This record gives sequence, C-alpha cells and structure tokens, in this order.
Amino acid sequence: MAPKLPTTLLRRPCLSASASSTSPSSSPATTTLQAQQVRHATFVPRSRRPYTFTQLVQLSDGSTYTMRTTSPAAIFRSTRDTRNHAMWQPSDPSLRNVEVDEAGKLAAFRARFGRSWDVDVAESKEEVEASGAEKKEDEGMDYDTFADLISGYAVKEGGSKSGGGLSAKEQARLDKKKK
Amino acid sequence: MTASSRGGRAVSALLKGSPSICSQCARLPPLQQRLYSAATAAASDASPIQAPISGGDLQTPDLTTPPVMHYPQHAPSQYSIKSGLILTRPPLLTRTLHPFETAFFLYQKRLEERLSAPFRKGFYFRHDTPAELDWRIKVRERHGVAGRDIGRYNPRGRMGWNDEVLVGSPLGASEEAVKERILTDAEMRVSEDGEEIPKEDRIKVERPAPRRTESDEKNDVRKLDRALDRTLYLVVRKGEAGWQFPSGDVLTSENLHETAARILAESAGVNMNTWIVGRVPVAHVVTKPVFKQDNPAQIEKKGEKVFFLKGRIMAGQADLTDNKHGLTDFKWLTREELQDVLPRGYYSQARLMMAER
Repeated sequence: MAPKLPTTLLRRPCLSASASSTSPSSSPATTTLQAQQVRHATFVPRSRRPYTFTQLVQLSDGSTYTMRTTSPAAIFRSTRDTRNHAMWQPSDPSLRNVEVDEAGKLAAFRARFGRSWDVDVAESKEEVEASGAEKKEDEGMDYDTFADLISGYAVKEGGSKSGGGLSAKEQARLDKKKK
Repeated sequence: MTASSRGGRAVSALLKGSPSICSQCARLPPLQQRLYSAATAAASDASPIQAPISGGDLQTPDLTTPPVMHYPQHAPSQYSIKSGLILTRPPLLTRTLHPFETAFFLYQKRLEERLSAPFRKGFYFRHDTPAELDWRIKVRERHGVAGRDIGRYNPRGRMGWNDEVLVGSPLGASEEAVKERILTDAEMRVSEDGEEIPKEDRIKVERPAPRRTESDEKNDVRKLDRALDRTLYLVVRKGEAGWQFPSGDVLTSENLHETAARILAESAGVNMNTWIVGRVPVAHVVTKPVFKQDNPAQIEKKGEKVFFLKGRIMAGQADLTDNKHGLTDFKWLTREELQDVLPRGYYSQARLMMAER
C-alpha cells in the first residue's frame, strides 16, 4: 500500500468557499470547526536497510582495503582489476599483449588469407609505390581495405552464382520436374 | 572502392600540395605574400619613396625586399634562466587513522547496526551446508553478533543504548586490529564433510604485506618502496653545490617543460616512466648576481632564476651512470627529510608546492 502523499492531506481549507457554501441556518460554531486545519498524522515508514558487514577486499597485487557490503564473506579477492591490467599498468612488461601461436595456426591463417585487416600492419611495397605520398595522409583509412575486400568478394560470389551454381532446394525442384 | 575512401582520396589529393594548411585554404588560389609596408608603398605609388638609408646617393626603392626590422636591444641580462624538475612519487597507501577516527568509525558501525534490519542467515546460507556450519560456529564465538568488527554489541537488547566506545578500549584502538579480526574470521573452520577442523589443521589466511617495508626498516633512501603513505621527492647531489632538484640551463630553442624533460633524461636516465604535470612552473628559486667590488656596474657572477616543474614517476628508477651534469648521488626523500638536506631558502621555495603527505 502506497502511503498518502502529504500534499493531499495538508490542503488548507478555503475560508471564503466554506462560508459561501454553508447555508445561513448552520450555526457559527460549525463554521469555525470547518475553517480549522485538519491534519492527520501520516506514518512514514523508515526505508529498509539490509545488514552490512565490513569486508576486506584484496586486489590482485596484494593491496587491501575494507568496505561495507551485504556479503557475509570476510575477504573478497579480486582476480582482475587495475593492478593487473595493461591499461592502468602500461609499464609492466608481464602484461604486454603477446600473441600465443605455438601451433602456428594464426600464422597459417595469415599465409592463406593475408593480413589486410590488421590495421597496424606495414603496407606491401607495390602498394606504397602506387599511391606514393598521398597514402601518408590517409593512414586512418586502412579499415576501408577490409570493406573493399568484402565487397570484392561479394561481387565474385554473385558472378559465380549466376554462372550456374544452384542451391540444394532449387536442385531438388529441378529433379522433381524431370521425373 | 567504397565511397568514403574515395572522398578521403579526393581530400588528400587536395591537401597534397601543402599538408600544413586546411582544406578550405588549399582550395583557394594562393594568396600573394604582402607585407604591411608593401601595401603602403603601393598606395602612395605616385610619389617616390626615399629609401631609409644614410649616405648621399639616392637609390630607387626596391619594394620586393622586406625592410630590415629593428628589434629593441635589451641590456645584457644579469640572470641566467634555468629549468628543473621536482620529480615526485605519489603516496601508494592511505594514511593510518588516528585512534579517534577508528573509534568514530566503530561508533558509526554500531549506529548502523541499530538502524538496519537484522542479518538473515537463511538468505545467504543453505541449511546444513559446511558454509552454514562454519558460520554458526563463528557467530557462537562472537556471542551471536553477526558483524565481525563491532565487538559484543546487541542493538536490540537491554543495553542497546550503550553503543559508544570508551577511551582506552582495545576495540577502537586501531584499524589493524579490525583487519586482523577479519582475517582470523576468514579461515574455514569446517571441512567439506561438515566436520570441525582442529585448530592446528586449519589453513591460515595469508596476511597482506605490512605498511612498513624492508626498505623502511633499513632506511634505504634510494628505494622507491619506502614510506608508502608519503610523497617522495627526487634530489640529486651535484658536486660541491650539494643536494638539489635536477635542473639545468634553458636553451634558446626550448620551453621550460622541454628543458625539464631533457634535464631529467640527461641526469637520471631514461629508465623511468614519468609524466610532467603541466607546463607551468610550481616553484622558483632566485639567486642574486654578484657585482664586482671596484665597479658595481660590472657583473662578477651572473644570478640564476630556476623554475621548477612538477613531475610524477609511475615506474622505473633513477640511474646516474653517464649523467651529463656531474651528479654523484640521488635520494628519494619525504618532505621532512628534504628540510634537513636542502639549503634553507631553497627548501622554503619548494615547500609551497609540496602536499601535506
């Protein structure tokens, strides 16, 4: 049940309105009663606060601090925080992003499909020669080479499809017709 | 080729001629280089201008060559300008609390106890699990109080009003005691089979590193892991000049902050991850020039104006090998320790930029 808003309860009775509405036969005592402010006490329940403990938080580098929490666990040990993240610890060599490629799968992928979507990769020689100095200014547009790759691939795919490739469904329909 | 990249090419082709100007300016025809003097010359073209030269013979005015600018000549300065860097290591720990503060926080916790709903065990622990048994044992030892750091206090009991800590009570003594109580509470008391583990078999919780480190105990002023709750300042020893912040002459092509970065690299090595906070000096020290005894107009020794910038060290360590400023030693000192090492006037100037801790 929602409690009544105090604004509705504390509305001041209008003296002139009550005087005009009351008939002349009513006694003056009732008029004064109506004019008085009526104020019922409203119960405003206190908000429910859950029980809180003091918890010791230990960051990944071993530093600790206490905080108030509803969890009854005495210690919270964090595994990933600012102390072992490369963004906040840029000078920590152990947090460098090193590519783990022991099986050579990533290298094999690159050998097959190239690395044109690697933004920070150096350009191949003939590309540099072709575009010359102009290329220097729009280094940020390397993303477009990826878009070009997709659009180029799509065109090729469409061409092959019109050449005679049929989907399994169409093939089945054709077979039915033949019968 | 996608549309966006073609647009980029077009713009870059426009900019190709002059990469340092904006695209608007690149599209407009190149403006003629015109000086103010040339404009006036063009306006008064009817009357020939006398060339501003001494000597008798009259020359035809050559409008293409810019006029020679005469800059005001300053008297030779009595001061040389230097720039330095006050390299600081920020405090890594919060300060220790005053006993009054710990007592106040305990009072706040007890007040919270009175205002909040009681702890509902069933919401957090399932019945008859090891965690629940463990919780039951610990609460029984705390005389039924759910909180670990409020002592024996029952907010709903007959003595609920008695929530203040008295002077000299071990409860409000230190935050370390609170931490220790939490750590002892963290160790598991019940095995996975639900049996209570005897005290000698319990796995102790590893204690966090203390506030005072090994370098603190040895008072190794070259180490950076000393005085963890204070700011440390780098001072270097320069031969007979004594201890000072690293500083050096400002070259004519440099700004103060550029000089400060160069001086730091030259004196304390590059094996540091530093950041120079702003380009405005935070302190300055002025040394008056020395005039000759017989002729007060002539300077015997130039004065110095040293401007210090503030720097922060994030990682690394100072290394004085092969430094170019004749430095022999370095120290990382707190504010109070600097007072003993630096000259009086020098310290009082730098003191204004130093933080409280």
